[in-house]
Amino acid sequence: MKPTLSFVLQLPPSTAYAKLESVVENLLKGVCMMLDSGKVKFSLFLDGPTLEVATKVPRPLMLGKLRRAIEDGSLELLGGGFYDPMLPLFPTELQSMQLKKHGKLLWKYFGIEPSGYFNSSMVWEMEMTELLEKHRFEYALVQEASLQDALGRTTPVSGWYTVEDKGSLMRVVPVSQKLSDAISNDDFQWEQIAEPYCRGGKAAVVGLNIPPQPGDIIPFFERLIEFVEMNEISTKTVASAVTEQNAEGRVSFLLSSGRKIGLPAAAKTCRELLIRRPEVNLLHKMLLAQFRRAAALLKGRERDDFFEMLLPAMSPIYYRDMQDSEGMRTPMVRWWGTRFLLQAANRLTDLVSFDGIRLDIADFMLEGYKSIWAENHSYSFLLNYRDGGILNILNAKDAENSVLGAWRDDGNPAVGFLDFMIPNVELKAEKLDQILSDREGMLTAAYDYQIKRHDAGTDIALLSDQHLVHGGQTFAIHAEKNFELSSTGSQFSVEYKLLNNSPETIKGFFGTLLDTGLLACGHTDKDILIDGVPLKFNFRDPLIFPDACSFEIADKTTTSRIELVFEKKTSVLVSPIFGASAQAAPEALQGIRVFPFWKMNLAGESEFSVLMTVKISKR
Amino acid sequence: MKSDLIDIQVESRGNDVELTLSGSLGLPQLSAVKEKLDMLVEGPGCFYFLNLQNAHFTSDRYLEVFLELLNRVKAQKSALILIFESAELHDYFSKYLSIFDVYENRKAYKKSGTKKQLQQIGLHYGLRSGITVSSGVAVALISLILGWMITLFIIISSQGHEISDKQAQIIALQNQKERYIKEIDKLESSIGPLRKLGVVQDTTRLSSFGLIQDWVSYLEYLENTRREK
Repeated sequence: MKPTLSFVLQLPPSTAYAKLESVVENLLKGVCMMLDSGKVKFSLFLDGPTLEVATKVPRPLMLGKLRRAIEDGSLELLGGGFYDPMLPLFPTELQSMQLKKHGKLLWKYFGIEPSGYFNSSMVWEMEMTELLEKHRFEYALVQEASLQDALGRTTPVSGWYTVEDKGSLMRVVPVSQKLSDAISNDDFQWEQIAEPYCRGGKAAVVGLNIPPQPGDIIPFFERLIEFVEMNEISTKTVASAVTEQNAEGRVSFLLSSGRKIGLPAAAKTCRELLIRRPEVNLLHKMLLAQFRRAAALLKGRERDDFFEMLLPAMSPIYYRDMQDSEGMRTPMVRWWGTRFLLQAANRLTDLVSFDGIRLDIADFMLEGYKSIWAENHSYSFLLNYRDGGILNILNAKDAENSVLGAWRDDGNPAVGFLDFMIPNVELKAEKLDQILSDREGMLTAAYDYQIKRHDAGTDIALLSDQHLVHGGQTFAIHAEKNFELSSTGSQFSVEYKLLNNSPETIKGFFGTLLDTGLLACGHTDKDILIDGVPLKFNFRDPLIFPDACSFEIADKTTTSRIELVFEKKTSVLVSPIFGASAQAAPEALQGIRVFPFWKMNLAGESEFSVLMTVKISKR
Repeated sequence: MKSDLIDIQVESRGNDVELTLSGSLGLPQLSAVKEKLDMLVEGPGCFYFLNLQNAHFTSDRYLEVFLELLNRVKAQKSALILIFESAELHDYFSKYLSIFDVYENRKAYKKSGTKKQLQQIGLHYGLRSGITVSSGVAVALISLILGWMITLFIIISSQGHEISDKQAQIIALQNQKERYIKEIDKLESSIGPLRKLGVVQDTTRLSSFGLIQDWVSYLEYLENTRREK
């Protein structure tokens, strides 16, 4: 007996939106070919942007055909989030907005309420049960592996099960991963693989990705029709399979870390990504911070409109450890994500008529530690005073970009103003770059903070005793690090005062590191300037420029510009930050490392001080 | 670290400073709250808004802290306004509701009376500048300044009228001059052929004529010019 399959087709969320019109036109043609063949019944998930384009391409007859196919049961349109986000990561209000917005589109253009929930990342947490029931979904597609875990077995799982949480019920339908892989890879043994799934007349759910390139879409559908015809497969939509079959059983707890998000198989939830990748975590926390602020300050229509602006930043490509425009390893993807959030931040600034200086001392990262969020009209930063007074975020509001947006393959976060005391050795650029990359000689003792308000602005004064080990000797340094913010300008100053509390002289180099993500999306020879003159930098080898008065990076692509103006002559190390590319070699430029440093010969009880001004603007 | 015990937000804009405390605040946080509030009210600011909407107090010792803060702010001739609307906080502050200014948000305070706020600004800047004036003197000063401004405006506008008259006259004269130049050009062109025939002597073009002092020299000059022709 031939197996019965339920095909679930979807476009990957990383489909280039620039080419979406031609993608959608080909997709509609392909879907109509499937319907015309009369042999294939299938379920289809299209995210919000794709659906919007589908209703605008000049093919009104095709939409009519889709509507009729839905009515006669040969096509099922699945529901989900408008931007197909991993819903468990976000607040309930945003989850609901995503589901409602997608549902509204399906109702408007096809006159249906979807009964099935689909998420391309396939993440699941128990709270989804209540959420989906509230939005009138009857079943949800989940990963087979997560059901196997819940059932405590390794054999194939098909049919549908129920989960219950807080008095809500949801049917969960596993997508047979092994069978899906076999069919998409043209494995001739697919029938043997399908057999245990389809035992007892059950339909196996096969998830297939529609190719994201317009030229590959029609051949994909042709192949699928041919596959069904050649093998005389019986097909049905997932909804009809769920209706026709009885429950296989119940599961008490279901958890899925998802697929294709760059997590290892051992990961239990998608939250693991927030712990593993600081860049993803920072973007996520920026979104949450804006959500909380807007929830506290806005009401009614303004509040809804603002939350709507946050929805694109929930797209799964911003929460994946993947490259090639599929995840946050790609500089362009990081820039897009930040841009959405900063557009929303600028809108919030307008809505609450904010024009001064705001300092928010709270647990921004939700890690159990406080940090200081500071902002004026042109920049915002997150100051982590517990880990050496470093900046974790530095946003250029006008340019809508994060300056410290570099990606580090070792999983450490990109930082700003991370201070180093390096022994007095002959420093070659490569050696210094290695020291910084390995984070040797960091001054990371916790600081205490004071906020000093005055007529010109507000100062955040950090005070600490830093301990330093040089050549077997331990030195104690009393460090003062002041961030001086102006309420009107687009600049702030950073001032250091280091007092040697040891009787011995400290000899070495003191400097501060910025892992900028600038120039990673594109660069020219004239983008890095020292004292106003373009620096001859080959974007391959690190170099040290001595006696600089100012340093500037002007990024054309992201239109961001940062300038450091030094009070005294300063040596500057400039080096590229490379990350692994698709070929696994560390050759993809992820940002530019900048390290201004000064030679120090600090006798006991004497003080070293230095000041630099940081100007953030739009290029 | 004491500072790690509390969530606090400070937003400075012009004369307004909004301090927001949030979370559950009990005895362990008391000294940190006091320390941070004392630190934050040092510095510029005429209106201090203390937003407690998202704060929950588990000890009544905070009332003393806020009373001390009120005294401190008043000593700076600034105003302390508490921002909250929850019934729980109204109960918490019930004993002192007549002492504290309580509003549901900053906008509500701003709408509550311009005169009161202007007086507050006057008091505050009086302290900062060291100049204090009574209301009567302030009104007189304002009237005087307004009078000066109105007079200055009248003078400027009347001078403006005069200047535009003069400009009109200058333009008329310039037009007249241009017309005369054109007429002279026309006349010159009409006597051009007569001048070529030597019937008319253009004395204006004889640059050396002024140097000729006697009749002999003049006749010699005429003879020379004829020969040249």
